[in-house]
Amino acid sequence: MKHASLKAALRTALTLGILAVLIYAFLPKYWIFLVTAIFITGIALQSLGLVTGRTGMISLCQMSFAGVGAWVTGYLNVAEAPGGLILWIVLGGLAAVPVGVVIGLPALRLRGINLAIVTLGFAAAFDTVLATITFPGQTAFIQVVRPSWFESDGGYFALVMIVYVAIAVALEFVNRSRLGASWLAVRHSERAAAAHGVSVPMAKLSAFAISAFISGVSGGLLAGYLGTLVAENFNMMQSLALFAVASMVGAHFTLGAVAGGAMITLFPELLRRLGLPQDIGNVFFAVGAVQAMSTGETISETWVRLGSKLASRFRRKPAAVAEPEVKTARPLGTPAVHQPGVALEVSGLTVRYGNVLALDKVSLKVPSRTVVGLIGPNGAGKSTTVDAIAGFLPRYEGSVSLNGGPLEGLLATERARLGVRRTWQTTRIAPELTVGDYIRLAAPGIRPAEIEAVLEWFDCPVPEAAIASVDAGSRRLIDVAGVVAARPPVLLLDEPAAGQSYAEALKLGDRIASIPEVFGSAVLLIEHDMDLVRKACSDITVFDFGRVIANGAPQTVLSSPIVQKAYMGVELEEQVA
Amino acid sequence: MNSLLTSAVAGLSAGGAYAILGVCAIFTYRLVAVVNFTGAAIGATGTFVMVALYESGVPLALAVPVGIVAGALAALAVGLVMATWFSGAAASTKAAVTAALLVGIIAVGLRLTGGQHPHNFPDLIPGSAFRLAGVEVTWAAVVTIAISVLFTFITEQFLARTQTGLELRALSQRPMAAELIGIRVKLLALSVWAVMGAVTAFALMVIAPQRAPDFMSLSLLVVPALAAALIGAFASFRAALAGGMAIGIIEGLASGLDTFSQYRGAIPFLVILAVLMWSQRGARFDEAR
Amino acid sequence: MTELTIKQLVVARGGIPVVRGIDLTVRSGEISVVLGSNGAGKTTSLEGISGIIPAKGAILLDGEDISGQAAGIRARRGLRHVEQGRTVFPEMTTEENLKVALAPGASLDEAYGLFPELVQRRDIKSAMLSGGEQQMLVIARALVGRPKVILIDEMSSGLAPVIVSRLMEAVRKLADGGMAVLLVEQFANLALGVGNRAYVLRRGAVVYNGGCEALLKDPARLHHLYLGDVADSVAMHA
Repeated sequence: MKHASLKAALRTALTLGILAVLIYAFLPKYWIFLVTAIFITGIALQSLGLVTGRTGMISLCQMSFAGVGAWVTGYLNVAEAPGGLILWIVLGGLAAVPVGVVIGLPALRLRGINLAIVTLGFAAAFDTVLATITFPGQTAFIQVVRPSWFESDGGYFALVMIVYVAIAVALEFVNRSRLGASWLAVRHSERAAAAHGVSVPMAKLSAFAISAFISGVSGGLLAGYLGTLVAENFNMMQSLALFAVASMVGAHFTLGAVAGGAMITLFPELLRRLGLPQDIGNVFFAVGAVQAMSTGETISETWVRLGSKLASRFRRKPAAVAEPEVKTARPLGTPAVHQPGVALEVSGLTVRYGNVLALDKVSLKVPSRTVVGLIGPNGAGKSTTVDAIAGFLPRYEGSVSLNGGPLEGLLATERARLGVRRTWQTTRIAPELTVGDYIRLAAPGIRPAEIEAVLEWFDCPVPEAAIASVDAGSRRLIDVAGVVAARPPVLLLDEPAAGQSYAEALKLGDRIASIPEVFGSAVLLIEHDMDLVRKACSDITVFDFGRVIANGAPQTVLSSPIVQKAYMGVELEEQVA
Repeated sequence: MNSLLTSAVAGLSAGGAYAILGVCAIFTYRLVAVVNFTGAAIGATGTFVMVALYESGVPLALAVPVGIVAGALAALAVGLVMATWFSGAAASTKAAVTAALLVGIIAVGLRLTGGQHPHNFPDLIPGSAFRLAGVEVTWAAVVTIAISVLFTFITEQFLARTQTGLELRALSQRPMAAELIGIRVKLLALSVWAVMGAVTAFALMVIAPQRAPDFMSLSLLVVPALAAALIGAFASFRAALAGGMAIGIIEGLASGLDTFSQYRGAIPFLVILAVLMWSQRGARFDEAR
Repeated sequence: MTELTIKQLVVARGGIPVVRGIDLTVRSGEISVVLGSNGAGKTTSLEGISGIIPAKGAILLDGEDISGQAAGIRARRGLRHVEQGRTVFPEMTTEENLKVALAPGASLDEAYGLFPELVQRRDIKSAMLSGGEQQMLVIARALVGRPKVILIDEMSSGLAPVIVSRLMEAVRKLADGGMAVLLVEQFANLALGVGNRAYVLRRGAVVYNGGCEALLKDPARLHHLYLGDVADSVAMHA
């Protein structure tokens, strides 16, 4: 929501602005100099927070990106390029972008451990290169020239604060956009992100590119701050320490980035004043990072949690008793109009896992604007069918077509964009999102009023609610609401009622039954609860051992002996015979 | 041509070091499912304990075993952290934890060893074994390579032939099923860490005199070590062995070429990039999620 | 004489309470069958009992509450959970799979005695065994650990009926040998044929608790418990 982003951005800008004025007005010169370093480090931390905290890709070379930015800034300074420091810093940031993209390329396929190794390798390589080529002006002691407005330490502090606020505000907007939501979605589950039509490679590369840019900017700022630089400012240990601090504080939160910057800058200062060796700060960071990772909660999150707890204690039960709202059903809008006829057709679908034949020439049809049930005992191949239709299997035989057009050769993301949308047996919603964010991720371009209407229709929490605060049963409903809100031609719902109570399941059955009429989509429903199936489906297909064993109207199919046998096993007498 | 061969042979000693560290990295990953960034730092800990004892007059015959035990204990400490708080964590979380631990271990190590302050590293295995292509191949290089080959061989045999080996394989293939048949999972995991620590410590003691022997440089040998492990796809000891040797030899070759010699530290990175691009060419999504 | 008693077991999966307070009993020499359609909470119950996932409620093994113990300790106390999905150690041979689980004093002959089919497959990598053979192997693997109680989850899934009845017969032998067996099954008829006591779960609660024979003789009731129909189920939940 534009409104929320604007509010959050304004709040961030205002808070930081007031903080900057206070620091400028009241702190002695030496401290202003020190605080400048806090915010430069804070920028580097924000960049790491974006790629690691938000998108979940381990980067152990963030200071190398900063080094690229600093080197370019230094080079432009020595070359006396026109434009001055501010332009050089921006160019330095841009120069880091291609480097970030190249490092991010291995992450397109896989993330996690491999990426950690690649980035550490890059940090080591960059160390070697930088030690050889040295910083421009390093040997001749050429100082980086600051712009005249920002020449004094106080002035430079102002420049750093302006840049910091600009980046924080920009990130506030990006994080609340669909791109920002897609980063969180990718972090939480790449497959689920792809099922929403999010391009996983684009999400990852954009995270790396933007992160490298921000980090490069922090390097450029550091060049102007220190005047001359040495390779040690950006070596592997700096990157590793930055990673430890980011993991500890939660650098993807504004509060966390500032707190982390303060720790990195002030901890050595504190130790120095105590007469202790400064490098033991890193031990503290390592312990803090391990602690944060073992509890799964960063320092920022702890503070926010304790803060809100404290705040609620002081507030005397305020809005908790909400005024009894007169529920007027919001308009859902008209159903989407999709091509009539057969919406989804699967024919001769065969899937093998090694020697195991998971699906053997199955065929089924989902006519437009109907609900078709897909049932069968465990291991019958139901979820495999959904995986194949939605493009999550590397290979299958047979064909899947949407409104008559074949889907073979299309990736999951492309199929989702064409309108084959699915849910998962276990909820895969990133807990950091709000309900509204998630619906926007699932249904790009949806209007706010419509979000509220859809959520209301499914009895889901309000859009402002954080997913983390929503119980697991409601998350499953939100999952369904998301894909339904996109109004695609075909919905594949994989056990949407799992974990719901009996009454809730029946209610959900009613809702699913009216999806075609209200939203215009056709539904393929996998479900085990036969009461729900009877309520929702006009037609069902039964699988057993990867084959279709029955097909037709629910009452007829469910009472047929072959289906009962599939569900309850062979009669003992038959076996004896 | 001959000078190229000379440079290649000169890389053998580094190659042996990378090989043994790479094999140890796979050992840890296969048996306790942790990509361990602290491997070389653990070995450095044992090495510096040995050096401290040696410098204070303790005979090598005592200092070396004590150093090896120190390496095992350091590994045990890391293993305890991993087994206690992260046994059910995702692989990437475990890797991130070891990366964070590396920061702390290096800080402590540098503090206790006096940073770049030079130490008197004893040549555990002095002298030259033979000449090849006009280059002295040191006994240290030969022994390092021998250790990595021997460790690979013993590990493979141990896993194949003993009851504990069976249990370790069961643990690595299906940790939960192993626990459900009553295998003492945590005890086994900690033993794996201890063995890894002891072997790495001894290997680094042999290699240290030929490297920049400060705590940080030794700890950062983890980069070529993981590159070697990647060549073995974190599964094959033999491929990692060969990969580690190859990285060392390529580095040697690069040192022989004037234009490249200063950039040879970037070689592990290029190897990592190449191996990943090749091995992941078919993958699409992170399957686990 | 062993007795495993479960009281008021509550197990959540990803925050969702899947098992909502169930009571079960298994005794030496008996098979207690747990039935129910998919999603009823059968597997989750077993996982709670064996300690794979945390559970609330009491788990009494011969009168002692083991619910606070880790899965490994419960296993060493004599509980064996044969998980769903034939969790053989895939890179190990049939014999290695058995050897790794061998209790002191137990012999491989016990396993091969129960499933002679496995003898000729002893040196084959277990990943290469057929589904039925893998299922036999994991049951045999549990057996050679000399447990007091064995929990078997959905051993029939994806197997041909003739193999399932072969497995049922073997499980009956285990019980007759003095073991307590908790058998989770989706396919009711075969399991009821070999079992003593039956429990039917629906949406995490026990909706039937009685003798196997009685349920087997009342197919209409079984049909209702499984496939239900709206009026009946609402009445049951009211």
